[in-house]
Amino acid sequence: MMRRRVDRLGRIALQATYQAHADAPEAPVLFASRYGDLGRSVELLTQLARSEPLSPTSFSLSVHNAIGALYSIARGDTASYGAIAAGEETVEAAFTEACGLLADGVPRVMVVLYDEPVPEPWRHFSPTVGFPHAWACLLAADSGANAIRLDCHAGPPDADAGEQDGLPADLRALRFLVSGARQWEHPVGARRWRWERHG
Amino acid sequence: MLELEHEIKRLVIETLNLEDLKPDDIDPAAPLFVEGLGLDSIDALELGLALQKSYGVVLASDSKENRRHFASVRALADFVSTHRTKS
Repeated sequence: MMRRRVDRLGRIALQATYQAHADAPEAPVLFASRYGDLGRSVELLTQLARSEPLSPTSFSLSVHNAIGALYSIARGDTASYGAIAAGEETVEAAFTEACGLLADGVPRVMVVLYDEPVPEPWRHFSPTVGFPHAWACLLAADSGANAIRLDCHAGPPDADAGEQDGLPADLRALRFLVSGARQWEHPVGARRWRWERHG
Repeated sequence: MLELEHEIKRLVIETLNLEDLKPDDIDPAAPLFVEGLGLDSIDALELGLALQKSYGVVLASDSKENRRHFASVRALADFVSTHRTKS
């Protein structure tokens, strides 16, 4: 009965989370999405503009943490949950938050990334999210050969032109994680996020 | 009245995204909330809004009355047939 509450974005995000969580031990979950469920906001704003009453369901689900909250309710899981949105740096913010939890002594953290093309009125803000996608992974602290390091350096501003393959940043991060590449640099404004693999 | 019951079942299914249900799966006399269909308070608000839009019925803030009207599809059909201002 819970499934009726989630639209496409929530469904793909939760499917990725359930699949990643199935064989994994309990862990805090970080839900990260650059744009979130903007379709709900468009629906509510359109109803407001027409002086129509707002849909109570959409209102209750229009917050950024709604998808994670439904997952927690459906599983009866009272572990720590977080919802993250940090623009172009959403994937880095999620991994930084996960590192914070790991540094606090949590053995593992589940991170879920999900986005879909933004609705029509805001399409011009989002050239990069061309298709709906979601992925999830389980992170643990490691300093050995498999360790991945994430650093942030200052760099020349507006050096973003380097990578023009059209993929959103979270999928470029995923490509780095699964490809075994030694390094991926993600310039954002005057910051350069550097993902590096040791060993 | 049977026709109105069927119409309300369709409204319930569409409004609340009950994608696995068909109108015939809903027992018109069964409770809509908690037991029976298993709807919750957000569904009640959403359904109230849909009834208001479709039939022009106005729901009072008296929760006891509403609980009676929302008891089942049959109770809703009774309520709509006597209070509707839209056809």
